[in-house]
Amino acid sequence: MQFAKDSFFLALQSRLAGLNPARTITMNGATVPAIVVVENLPPSSAEQAANAFYIEWGATSVVDGHSGSGALMSMECVISYYTFGTVASRVDRGRVLGQLDDELLAICQPPSTEKRDYAQAPSADLGTRVFWSQPRFSENAKSGVENQAERHADGRVERKAGITVFFFSEVTLS
Amino acid sequence: MSISPLRAAMVPVTRQMRAYFAPVNRVTEMPTIFDPGVCGAFPLDSPPAPWLDLGWVENFARWYGTPTDVVRSGARAMPAAQFRGPQEAGVSFDFRQWGKLQMALAGGSEHMNVLAPAAGSSTPEPSGGMPAPGVAVLAGSTANELVFGAGVANAFPDGCLIAVDLDYQQQTGYVGAGIAAAYVSSPLAVKQDPNYVRRVTFNVGRVAQVTETTVLLEQPLPAGAPAAGASAQVIVAFVDREGGSFFQEWSALFVAEEESGGRVCFYYPRLSPNSGAIGKASREGLAVIEKTLSAMSLRASFLAMPYSDPNDGQSVLCYRSYFPAAMAAVY
Repeated sequence: MQFAKDSFFLALQSRLAGLNPARTITMNGATVPAIVVVENLPPSSAEQAANAFYIEWGATSVVDGHSGSGALMSMECVISYYTFGTVASRVDRGRVLGQLDDELLAICQPPSTEKRDYAQAPSADLGTRVFWSQPRFSENAKSGVENQAERHADGRVERKAGITVFFFSEVTLS
Repeated sequence: MSISPLRAAMVPVTRQMRAYFAPVNRVTEMPTIFDPGVCGAFPLDSPPAPWLDLGWVENFARWYGTPTDVVRSGARAMPAAQFRGPQEAGVSFDFRQWGKLQMALAGGSEHMNVLAPAAGSSTPEPSGGMPAPGVAVLAGSTANELVFGAGVANAFPDGCLIAVDLDYQQQTGYVGAGIAAAYVSSPLAVKQDPNYVRRVTFNVGRVAQVTETTVLLEQPLPAGAPAAGASAQVIVAFVDREGGSFFQEWSALFVAEEESGGRVCFYYPRLSPNSGAIGKASREGLAVIEKTLSAMSLRASFLAMPYSDPNDGQSVLCYRSYFPAAMAAVY
């Protein structure tokens, strides 16, 4: 399962670096593409940065009718991001959010990538692929978001996109 | 070593089906050949020539109606041998994208380009009346750029559609550059109209840019560089008709987009539009976007025609090819 998570994240990260090299954040003193996995950060991490994509993993299940050798599994994923815009008046924050939307859609294409074992160097091809649904830009029940773009008191606009990621399990189910 | 990952790689997972069509030479009945060994793994956005990408299709369904019968022998009529009866197969699907070729394939007979009318044209015709005269295409033209000479902007504004083909020269037989678009049995049947070939031709394009003497096209002309003597006319619409005696014939290739596992291709050397036996069928589909809002699709259905496989002389209606994923187990 971790292989699928890593493969998905690294595919999106490398695509973002190619699509918009200027979309970066600084983490632990290093400048990296502005997409991170929340569960890979220390629990004490500071608030999420603006103009960056944050991946959170959710429920996982075996897809009905696909158990057995190399069962097909699905895993829910939410990618959230927000912006204040680029000018002091923040009047362009809607446009910047739209740009972030476009970038997310773009880095999700094509909606598949090789599943690789990144726990070893060099990484190893595991023989199957990780593939996913198109992003669903919708409210997030946990945060009680009512509109696709939530408005905060500080003027930020944010988005949450749900994606279902599919992969073949490394574990053989009986 | 566990072979579980190898077995999972044997499961072709697909999201959608992509359709490619190419002409059949109607005089020789020679299809366009899809050789999996030569070009099977092509990127889906750039098919090998002369295959034309007609986009994603939905509700893709292949069928066959080839019965297998049994020869029986002995007092208890035990099976002794099997044989195949009359071969029949076909395919149907919905085109989600509309265009000249998609509409023509879904219609199945002559597909008309409605040519821009001549100034003062007063005789209405449901598939287009008297058109404005054609403009001669000059030497040096290519499939992407057509040379007309000075004043070209007056004839072909930016963004217009054009048909490029020869004048009808009172011949009989198949007409249309590159792709047989109609069969003319008699010059009188088409009123000896010099514009007739351009009324039906598949050699069409959209003008992307007009220079001082040429027009640049958004997509290359399906038949390639225009023949000497060809002319061009503006198209204002496409029309197909319920009726007509002509049957189109195309080579078709369908590729299941591989999300995981191997690639599966279905190659029909010769497909002829066929809406089936007598009965009611829909020509269009409606994919509901939300209430009152729907996307229209074109329903297409074809009968597979036979092709003699040069390797063993067998009559074949369709080929299914499978390109196993890297690392997939073989069996």
